[in-house]
This record gives sequence, C-alpha cells and structure tokens, in this order.
Amino acid sequence: MCGIAALFAYDGDAPAVRREELESINERMRPRGPDAGGTWISDDSRVGLAARRLAIIDLTAEGDQPLTDTAGELVIVFNGEIYNHRELRARLERGGARFHSSSDTEVLLQLYRAHGADMVELLRGMFAFCIWDKRRERMFVARDPYGIKPLYFADDGRTIRIASTVKALLAGGAVSRTIDPAGVAGFFLTGTVPEPFTIHESIRAVEAGTAFFVDGNGRGRARDHYSIAKVFRNGCSQHAFVTLVPPAMQLCEFVSESLAYHLVSDVPVGAFLSAGIDSTGLVALAKQPMRTVTLSFDAFRGGASDESQIAERFAAEMHSTHTTRVVTRDEFQRDLPRFFDAMDQPTIDGVNTWFVSKATAEQGLKVAISGIGGDELFGSYPSFTTLPRIVRSMSLARRVPGGIQAARAALAMMKRSPKAPAVTRYGATWGGAYLVQRGLYMPSELREVMDAEAAEEGMKRLAIFDRAEAMLDPDPASEFGRVATLEATLYMRNQLLRDTDWASMAHSLEVRTPLVDAWLLRQLAPLLTNEGQASKQYFADSPRPALPDYVRNRAKTGFVVPLIDWAQLEPDGTGTRMRSWAKRVMGTFR
Amino acid sequence: MKVLLLTTDIYGGYGGIALYNRDFAAAVASHPDCEELVVVPRIVPNKPDGIPSKVRFVAEASRNNLAYFRSINALRRERFDLVFCGHINLMPAARMLSDHAALLVYGIEAWKPRNRRFKPGAVISISDITLGRYLSWSSFEGKTFILPNAIHLDDYAIGPRDPQLVARYGLEGKRVLLTVGRIVAAERYKGFDEVIEVLADLPKDVVYLIAGGGNDLSRLKKKAEHLGLGDRVIFTGLFPESEKPALYNLADVYVMPSRGEGFGFVLLEAMACGVPAIGSRHDGGREALRGGQLGILVDPASSADIRLAIEELLARGGKQIPPGLDYFSFPNFESRVHALMNELRT
Repeated sequence: MCGIAALFAYDGDAPAVRREELESINERMRPRGPDAGGTWISDDSRVGLAARRLAIIDLTAEGDQPLTDTAGELVIVFNGEIYNHRELRARLERGGARFHSSSDTEVLLQLYRAHGADMVELLRGMFAFCIWDKRRERMFVARDPYGIKPLYFADDGRTIRIASTVKALLAGGAVSRTIDPAGVAGFFLTGTVPEPFTIHESIRAVEAGTAFFVDGNGRGRARDHYSIAKVFRNGCSQHAFVTLVPPAMQLCEFVSESLAYHLVSDVPVGAFLSAGIDSTGLVALAKQPMRTVTLSFDAFRGGASDESQIAERFAAEMHSTHTTRVVTRDEFQRDLPRFFDAMDQPTIDGVNTWFVSKATAEQGLKVAISGIGGDELFGSYPSFTTLPRIVRSMSLARRVPGGIQAARAALAMMKRSPKAPAVTRYGATWGGAYLVQRGLYMPSELREVMDAEAAEEGMKRLAIFDRAEAMLDPDPASEFGRVATLEATLYMRNQLLRDTDWASMAHSLEVRTPLVDAWLLRQLAPLLTNEGQASKQYFADSPRPALPDYVRNRAKTGFVVPLIDWAQLEPDGTGTRMRSWAKRVMGTFR
Repeated sequence: MKVLLLTTDIYGGYGGIALYNRDFAAAVASHPDCEELVVVPRIVPNKPDGIPSKVRFVAEASRNNLAYFRSINALRRERFDLVFCGHINLMPAARMLSDHAALLVYGIEAWKPRNRRFKPGAVISISDITLGRYLSWSSFEGKTFILPNAIHLDDYAIGPRDPQLVARYGLEGKRVLLTVGRIVAAERYKGFDEVIEVLADLPKDVVYLIAGGGNDLSRLKKKAEHLGLGDRVIFTGLFPESEKPALYNLADVYVMPSRGEGFGFVLLEAMACGVPAIGSRHDGGREALRGGQLGILVDPASSADIRLAIEELLARGGKQIPPGLDYFSFPNFESRVHALMNELRT
C-alpha cells in the first residue's frame, strides 16, 4: 500500500521532467506511505517515477520503490496488494524466472516481462501501477477491476502526470486547478464525483478495470481487462455448477478463499467489526481470533444505532481481541480540518471510515479487513427491490398513451418529493432509475447550487445517464445483475471505495475488502443471479457455526454518524440534511 | 483380519470410480493382516478379471435387486473386522452389516445431502474439497481420511505420437490441446465449453482434441462450428482403454478447467505421459495438481486465465513427468490405505 507518481514527457519537445515536481507530488502522499520514499528519473530525464511506501509485504529495503529489474530495463511504482503473488511467483519460477526479493512488486515486473499487458488478467488483488519499459520506450499503466486503488492523470498533450491522488498532482504545481463543471455537477447529483471526472478540468481518473500504454505518440486507447456486467452475464449461463453444491457451502468456500488471500501479510491484520452480517461473517470465517475494532458515537450510546454492544458480544464469542472506540462531538469537530484536508475529491461520505481507521491505527495495526461491498454483492440495498419495480412500471407507462402524465400525477399525490418528476422522466431505464433513486440533487435542481450556465455545460459533458447505461453493456442478463452492476460501478466505485482509500490512508492504514474481489465475483455470479437477495442469509449460514440470531435479525443500520447535530447542519428538505453537508464539503474545495 | 467392501462397480467396470475401487481393494488385500476381502459389487458390466487372490468376489449380487439383498442378508451371518462402503447410495446396505462402516466419497455424489439418516463410522475422501463439502451438510464428526487416486506410473510413459492416430484425427503439424472425459449434458462441468471459447484466440495451428463419448457431443460440435472452429475441435468419440496412453501422447497440453471433478484422475494420467497439465482451482483438480506444484491452476470462469495458461505451456514446450507426481504412486496409495486400516482397527 503506497502512494505512487509518474511523469512522462512523451513529446520530444516537452520540457524534461523536474525532480522538484516529482518530489512535491510524492511528499503530498507521505501519509499513504510513511515507511519509505523514493524517486527515479531516467538518464535522459524524460521519465520520472516516485513512491511512498507503507511496508506490508517484504518489510526489507528490497521492497522499496521505484523498483528496477536486474536487467535495468523495467522500472515500476505500485500501489496496492497482489494477494496471489506467491503462486504467481512459483509459476514464473517454474518458467525460469529468478527473483531477488520476496515482494509482490517484483512479481509484477516479472509477470509483465512474461505476459506483457495481459498480466493484469492474472492479478488477484487491488492495484494501481505504472511500469516504465525502457526497451520499448513506453509506460504501462493499470488499475484494478473494482477501482479499489485510485489513480489519476493529467495529460497536456506533451507530458502525462500520474499520481494516486488528485491533491498530489496539484501539489506538483504544473497541473491547472481550473474547476470542471462536469465534476461539480456530478458531485451534487450523486454525492461524489463520478469517474472519470474529477472537479479539475485537467485531471481524470484512470478508469477501474482498465489499462493503457503511453508512448511517444501519447496515451493509447484504454483496454478493459474486467467487466462486472460481463461477469454477471456469463454467470447466467453457468447454472450447472449452482446445482452441484448447496449455496451456503459455495459461499463458505469462495468467501473463505477470498478471505485467506486478503489475510496474506507480513504484519498483523485487524478487522472492522460492526453489528452487521458482512463484517461478522468475515470474522467468523477467518478461522483465527482477530483484533477487531468497533466505532461507537457517544451521542448514540445505548440506542438502536449503537452497534457496539452486539459487536462486543460477538467478538467475545469469536475470542477476538476487541476494542470499542467511542467518538465524541469534540473529537469530531477537532478532526474536521484534517478530515477535509485528506479528502481527495468532494464526497458526502467518509466520516465513519475516517474514525474507524483512526481507531484501528491507534491499536498499532497497519492492515484491517472490512466487510464493505457485502451489500452490493448480496443485494442488501433497497435498490435491489425498488429499481426493478420502477423500471417495469415506467416502461409500461411509456407504452400507454398518457401513461407518463398519469404516473407523474400519481407520484405527486403520493408524496411531495423533488424526485417525482425525475422518476417519470428517467425511470424507464435502469441507469436513469438508479441515479434518481441514489440522487442527492435532481438535474433540474442543480441551479440551486451551481451557476446556470455551468450546470448546463456540466450536465452536457457529464452525460451521466448515458454513462450509467454504459455500465450495463453487455447486459448483465438478470435484474439482480443489473442492479448489482450499477451499485458496484457507480456508488461503490465512486464513493465507498474511494472514500475508504483516502480516509484510511490518512491514518496510514491499509483496508482490505474480501467481499470486493473480482475473482470472488466470478465464482459467485451464478449463485447470485440464481438466489438473488436470499444470498445474504446463505452467507450468514456459511460459517460453522452459522451466525447467531442476534446478528442476523438485527435491523440494518450500517455505520451511522450523528452528523446533523455534530456538524450543525441546516435543514435542507431532506431527513439526512446531506444537501447541507454537500454544500459544506464543496465549500472546502473552491 | 476379514474385510468387506461394498462397491458400485469394480472388476469388469469402466471409469474412474471402478479403477479407484480396484486399487483400493488391491491395497486392502495387500495389508499383511488381511486374511480375506469380500467384495460385493452392485454392477458388473463386463467379465471381471484381475481379482487378487485374497478377494472373494460376490458377483452374483449384481444380478438384480433381490440378488443384492440376498447377498447382503447372507453376509450378516459373517463377522467382519472392517467394513468399507464404496458409495453413499450403498450406506443403507452397509448399515445392515455394521454400525461403523467407513464410507468412501469421491465427488458430486457427496456434495449435496443424500442418505443423511445412515451415518458412517468414518469417512474416506478422494480429496479435501469433497470431504469439506460432505462435512458441510452431514454434520459428521468422526474420523476422516484423504485418499487421493493412485497412478500406476509403469503403465504410462512419454512417447512419440502414434502416426495412425495422427492421421485419424488430422493432427499433422498441429499443436494439440486435450481433454479426456465423458461429455454428458447433465454434467456440463468438465470445461469443454470454456476451452472451445478460448480456442479462437489461440494460434491457428492449435487444435482441441476432446476424447470421450456422451450425449452432449452434438451440442459441442455445433458450438464449435458456430464459432468457426469446426475444423479445430476434434472429437474422438468413445475410444478403447488400451489407446489411452497413446492418446495422451498426442497432446502438447492437457487442459481441464472443470467445476465438478472430485479429484481429476485424468490429470495424473496426462502428467504420467509427460504432458503439461492445466486444472481447475475450484474443484478436485487443485489437489491432483498439488495446489499448482505439478501444473497450472486456472479459474474456470476466466477465459483469459485459461488462455494465458495454455499459451504459457505451449511456449514452454517439451515433455517432462513432474518430479512430484510419485506422491500419487500406487505404493504411496497402498501405504495410505494400510495406515487408515490400522487407524480404523483401533
């Protein structure tokens, strides 16, 4: 787990890369990698690489980055973890490769040498990396399937600058800070900035599940190496296996396998523990007592939203070394400036992850597993039931003359929601219905928070409904698959995973997500499309013994923060006052 | 020591389970304390042969249900020190003869609840994955053993391609991928479809030889034709057992990205002929390749993973019997059987 950066002056007339810029970028990422830092600049000063390192695998200096291969032909900077690095190493060694360290970074270099760009298909893990290939004078850039690890670039047509965070790219001083209305509109619509946009015109995300080369002609076309939609589609044609093994057993096997990979580490691994099925299920399947951490907000102590009592009871039964960390209003307010400074892109979430990461790091841990992704995987969100209903009814209304008007009137009578007109306008498509359901502001409301012209321009370039629909290409072939794909590629990718990254990295903590695993999804897709939302209960049945009733019967709350009181949010017409919070957040970026 | 073994098919039988049972019976009979092994088959498809001298083969039990019941009933008058039940479906019969019968489990027959009422005294599984799946529903808590397939290494060897077979299947100048197995519509878990799908992305001189018969063959043929691969997917149909080593020696890579193998004995056969092997990381193939030490494990749901493994082994070329393959040799199998018999006797 690290922060990485790369500069490549690919155009012959571009100025040489400057060490000061590279070091400034790297320095901004220091919390991501407090253990070591390094830079490398090519002899001709056309290429520069830098990394900050949080040492998790191979704690020796041999794992430091940038790492050059023994032939001096390949240089890499890498952020993330390759969980199957040991088996890949063994396979490469059988093919004749020789290694000089035990780090997973060196495995990437050797794998690139053996398989070229196809190497990404063999990686199980979370990753973002750049490999400078001196032989062919080109750089290979890749990011993991779900987008767990971030990677951004600014390409001015002569030089490409790449870094793990937007703020690091800006810290280099050579990238324009001009605000992008598309990014701002995206934030107010969804509560986060949708990929590939950022709130800066000149900076874009390397999209999740893609890889590309940069050579003397600039950035090549990005190639998809993983498609969640396609995995669900393929899953529909693999029902033969579903019938061979009972569902709970499949979940036990496949999640345990993912978990075992995510526990590979040369330092102790802790676990975030809530009172929900996902995190308790992981702790139960871990087959080893863990060090667990639960958050408790003093404003909620003893109430329905306080998860600490159930978590403590469960941790005791699992023989975990458990910590309940109480967060107070004073601490929240004290941390806010640092919280906003660490926030890489505007988002209305991240507070819980900030505090649970802080609490875990206080326990001396550098790595923790989290149950995030379970709701997207097992279909626990309300969207898995409401979205199919909306799409079906709006599709029907469109086919009947006057149907849309009737639906609009019916919705208006039922409740005075600003979303009602948007439901009738966008609800006939899966992407449209999803965005309306998850939306913070509706497109028609953007003028309340943006200049009218900027809102129009932003919406046009953002093309958010088209982008949401594009996530469903190819069609995942089942209603469950469609909603799961939208949740994973929009909410989870743009918000949950991104927020987890910056909020944990701010405390030099690596968060691992066994339920967000591309290989796991491939195995479970047939079962998930077959069983739908029943999958969650099968998951609760999968440990031996099965999860106790006091966990599985608890009403779902997730991690909740007393944000309204603590941040003194103004009423904004919503129960959560998230619109007020969004305006506060955006204020810190302008 | 007097031992009883109830089996589905064994002497005169085809296929992997019959072979496993023959090896098991031979190993039991070779235990120094074994005086007699009584073997009761459910079916005897062909004239039985190769029966070890200590074995009393009750062939008449296979005639019909009544004959089977009579045979079992007659055996209740005898006393056995050890009773082995060679299939979960035979547990009711085994329980008539002993409360402590040791059950042998192989693969999918034991992956889902079946004959739950008839608890065995011990469980012998062909693989860890089958044992885990059996334990997940049976709540069995007694003694368990892992007894992987045996390979008679002397029956196989690296050899040249048989010119007659090369001509028969049109393999001159081709690099050959091979899968051996039954092609059954109800059991689409061998990975034939997955290999056909990646074939289009492999060089044109690479062909895929599917060796085996079954009712799903015409569908696979149509699929290959639909993908424009009609001339690159070759079906042998049923082939004589005696041709098997020659068949393996046609192959450059053995590939089986399966989902439902209890163990994957064919992987051992291929490797015993020096053919580099690709197996599944999600079924018994994982154990046949010893967690990837003997070959490459792939995710059957990832066409890229399968393709890259094939490309890697084709590029590496050459044939070699993996040094660790003797882990599965018959003498090692025999030692494991003797050890578990000793353990069960206590």
